[in-house]
Amino acid sequence: MLKVENLDKTFHTGAGDVRAVQNVTFDAKDGEVVAIIGASGSGKSTLLSLLGLLDAPDRGSIEIDGNQLANLDAAGRTRYRSTQVGFVFQQFNLIPNLTAKENVKLALEFAHWPKPDRDARAQAMLDMVGLDAGKADRRPAKLSGGEQQRVAIARAFAAQPQLILADEPTGSLDKSTGQKIISLLREAANQQNATVLVVTHDEKISQQADRRLEIDDGVLREIA
Amino acid sequence: MRSVGVVVILAVAIALSISMLIARDAVTTKINTVRASTGNTISVSPKGFFGFNGGGTPLTTTQINGLLDLSNVTAVQESLSEQLKSTQTSLTSPTPVGSLGQQFGGFGGGSTTSGGATSGSATTTTFSIPIRVIGTNSPGTAVVGGANGGGTEKLTSGTAFSPTSKADVAIVGSTLATKNKLKVGSTFSAWGTKITVVGIFNAGSTFTDSNVLMPLATVQKLAAAANEVTSATVVVNNINNVASVDKAITKKLGSAADVTSTQATVQAQLAPLNSVKTISTYTLVGSVIGAAIILLLSMLMIVRERRREVGVLKALGAPNRSIITQFISESTTFTVMGAIVGFIGGIAVSSPITSALVSASGGSTSTASTGGFVRRFAGSGFTGGGSGFTPPAGAGPGGGSFHFGAFNNTVTQLHTSAGWSTLVFAFVAAIVIAALGSTVAAATIVRIRPAEVLRSE
Repeated sequence: MLKVENLDKTFHTGAGDVRAVQNVTFDAKDGEVVAIIGASGSGKSTLLSLLGLLDAPDRGSIEIDGNQLANLDAAGRTRYRSTQVGFVFQQFNLIPNLTAKENVKLALEFAHWPKPDRDARAQAMLDMVGLDAGKADRRPAKLSGGEQQRVAIARAFAAQPQLILADEPTGSLDKSTGQKIISLLREAANQQNATVLVVTHDEKISQQADRRLEIDDGVLREIA
Repeated sequence: MRSVGVVVILAVAIALSISMLIARDAVTTKINTVRASTGNTISVSPKGFFGFNGGGTPLTTTQINGLLDLSNVTAVQESLSEQLKSTQTSLTSPTPVGSLGQQFGGFGGGSTTSGGATSGSATTTTFSIPIRVIGTNSPGTAVVGGANGGGTEKLTSGTAFSPTSKADVAIVGSTLATKNKLKVGSTFSAWGTKITVVGIFNAGSTFTDSNVLMPLATVQKLAAAANEVTSATVVVNNINNVASVDKAITKKLGSAADVTSTQATVQAQLAPLNSVKTISTYTLVGSVIGAAIILLLSMLMIVRERRREVGVLKALGAPNRSIITQFISESTTFTVMGAIVGFIGGIAVSSPITSALVSASGGSTSTASTGGFVRRFAGSGFTGGGSGFTPPAGAGPGGGSFHFGAFNNTVTQLHTSAGWSTLVFAFVAAIVIAALGSTVAAATIVRIRPAEVLRSE
């Protein structure tokens, strides 16, 4: 259960202050897929950074299962990211010199999974996302965009996090592949009972989510 | 490809470091060898003194003893060389006079007799070689240590007298002892005094083994040369202090003495080698720093290029420590590979580089014309023989001469080699270089904020 209250973030720039996130309050249940839509520069990526503890909010609270996260120190935030959050990026961001399976195992390593279990877990996750057998040992450059995003999803879910943050996960894919990726995220969320927040500007993609939120000038509101 | 480039550049820098280290070691070894071979002593003799040929005014014991007050002087060995004419001693020189001896019969003393020749009034001159007596206050060194200029003298029987002895005793050379049927306990006369033989030495040289060693005070008394000294050897505590002590003695004794130190001469000859040593030291330090800067900049470039990857790793929950470790292992791999290639390359090029450096430095020096940086001192015209480098106390005709018979070191004999110390240096240098390169990478990694990196997508 994710609970966000009164989240605020202002960037101080040479051109003046920019309130990227303003008084954001919402919650999301386990296994729920929530789409956050908004135009470029509306604050959706900043919101994701705050929820992933990549950035610190100026004000407000973030709770997962009743645990307050906003005030964690650097080590605590790192631990939170490795165990409680999974990221899926628009550009996949797989480590280029590691194979698909090694990329997944990397997340398990950071989450301190038992070493003997990592290989089997990584393979199970790659199977779950439907990566063709035999491609687990390929490096990202030898995989298509869709396959890379599958590996990224496998990596995000590998350590059984409670929150998946997907930033434009279909932005670099064709429509068909994008649909498959969204479906995959839904299935994974159900299977792992994880909350998935998908940031997108694609209306059709957002309509596949359980709930839709719109962010505009840092202000979040629920839409039908 | 970039990694290969980094390794190659590092290898070149490390090869340069290694070759400079080897060159420096070779030159340092050569310098130390040459300096050590010249000894840590300084010879002092009366100004213009040329042995038994005369010249100069004797120094005094007071003057010589005053040298002990100088800094870094550990001992002063004094000697007084005298000749015993046949009229002054019961000893007979074992050296045959020969025709030259007859020709120069008057030289150095002898005896001339007028014989009643049967053929008329012709006068026949007979001449015998005088006996050389050395009064010394360091019989131990004079007899055993080779400081007598005659090679390695060893006491074959009896004992040496004490440095401060005033007794009428002597240690005689084995040739002289045989000629005069002397053994320990025997006596002979000198200057009208009965002298007791307390020891017999052998130096393996007929000339030296024809000498007599006696206490300095005894010779000064019997030869009516009270307080006189014809040569002294000043022992300096360290080879590096010889030059300064040389100056101090010259200043103290002024125009009364000739002060001769082989170090001063050798120092001038070694100047080109010292120049090579300086060049190689600076180049060594420069190349290590250069290698460190190369790696540092390379790692900085690599970290900047992989900024996104670092950001992603941080977003995935990788602690800074883990990411830094990864980059350190990369920079260490570069460095180790560069060190291995550079070590092999450095050893391969060290010899030609050393030769080139030495040749370049030698070309501008006056010693180059002698065929080497260190001139060979043939010792011609000097007696005393042997191969010792220690300024002899009483060697030669009256003492104070030098012999450099074995001093034939030339630059071409420089020996380059890489030992454990070079290997350890390469290892330590690699560690330092890797550490420096990694430090900057680590600092950059710590500053990367994943939110900024990922936002720039």
